[in-house]
Amino acid sequence: MQVSFSDRPYLQSAVFAALVLFVVTAVAFIWVAHVYYRKKLSGLPGGNELYLECAYFSEIGKRPSQQDSVFISSLDDYRKYGITALVADGMGGMRYGGEIAQKVADFVEGMCPMSFFATEQNADILRSFSNELYEEYKLQGGSTLALVNISGNYMNYYSVGDSDIILIRDGTPTILNPRQNYMTLLIKSLCRNNKTTQTAYTNAKAKALIDFMGNQDPKVIYTRKPIRIFDGDKIIVSSDGLTDAVSLRHMKHYIKDSASVTATLLKRAVAGRKRPKQDNYTAIVFSVKRGYL
Amino acid sequence: MIENYILMHKGGLDEYRDNIFVNYSSSLTMAMLYLPSESDFSVADEAAVAALVNSSSKMRFIDLSESVYPLLTDLKNYMLIRINDKNITIERHGRVYAYIVQNGELKMLPNGVTSIDDKDRVICCTAEFLRDLNEIAILSDAVISDSAEEWMDHLVCRISDANRLAQGNLTAVTMIVRSGD
Repeated sequence: MQVSFSDRPYLQSAVFAALVLFVVTAVAFIWVAHVYYRKKLSGLPGGNELYLECAYFSEIGKRPSQQDSVFISSLDDYRKYGITALVADGMGGMRYGGEIAQKVADFVEGMCPMSFFATEQNADILRSFSNELYEEYKLQGGSTLALVNISGNYMNYYSVGDSDIILIRDGTPTILNPRQNYMTLLIKSLCRNNKTTQTAYTNAKAKALIDFMGNQDPKVIYTRKPIRIFDGDKIIVSSDGLTDAVSLRHMKHYIKDSASVTATLLKRAVAGRKRPKQDNYTAIVFSVKRGYL
Repeated sequence: MIENYILMHKGGLDEYRDNIFVNYSSSLTMAMLYLPSESDFSVADEAAVAALVNSSSKMRFIDLSESVYPLLTDLKNYMLIRINDKNITIERHGRVYAYIVQNGELKMLPNGVTSIDDKDRVICCTAEFLRDLNEIAILSDAVISDSAEEWMDHLVCRISDANRLAQGNLTAVTMIVRSGD
């Protein structure tokens, strides 16, 4: 007995529905597979997680040698461990500044992957390393430390000395870490005495560091709780060679969506200043973006 | 316990005109008065507010609020605060502000009761204090500070960088909740 579609109209509808279902399922499967492999290949987080674009520069300026050091952990490990980035600025005019800055960068590399939540322990480890440097160099050199550790939607930071960690949100740059120089002590003292602070800024020793890597038991500034970061934020970790040349007020003119474009513009801006005593200038630029899933 | 540090700095003016009255008991009760140059406030009313706050340890917050209201109506810029290690109650009028650090963000406290946890950080301040600060700066200084005093010192340095502490009166209180102490 032969059965034709015309004899069984419901069979025709059933076959059509099955065909549509097959096509929809196949398209959905291909789309999910495509997104999964793209994500796996790129290492980007999905859902509401953020991901980072990163770029950096390190220039010698008008100095005879490069005394800044940089370390950036692998972006391949970002989803698992987050990212760690460091700028260490060897103290100018001291014999072993550049050497100590490189040792600080090497040491931080050895600390990775850095525990995101054990900030107090991480600060203790950095302090102990500074004591080792003190024993080795006996204050014949030192280095700053500006370090960020970003995981998911949060950032911790560590700081010793006067390098800068800058967060740019809604176009407004803010230096996060306080500088550890003599000026802060003067300001504190004047404030306690209910005075204004003009004299602190004219003091010849105001910019002298009171803490640095290589000092004995330096105060390591660190976040007790992480700072939330958002889509669109930019984070710049830099030596003072950048912020001395490009003021915070003018920095916003060079901030673009792309980390590499921002880094290029900042580097050109410093070079364009043509300062005769331009210090080494180094910066790591992060652009925070939302995952595309 | 609520660890706190109070800043009352005259800034670049000849005298300190703002005021803070504090009652330290099981809860910390505070009245913060902000008197920009156009404001005026009688010495007698100020003394009356001080007396009320001093005797407020067993007074309900709403009763304190109703008692000081007639004295402060013309002032326009003031805040009442009561904080213990479980919650904070505020009532703010005009250009005085309170913020709390939560989940890596700085959030403005609304009028009323807000629950707080151990190690939470709270700042109450006048508009003049805030003028050269932004929320990211306040947040960052809060999370790196071991004490309320250290937090305030960092903020003062930022204000100093902007205006050398040479503008109006600077009035603020930084607080850290210490539940275990």
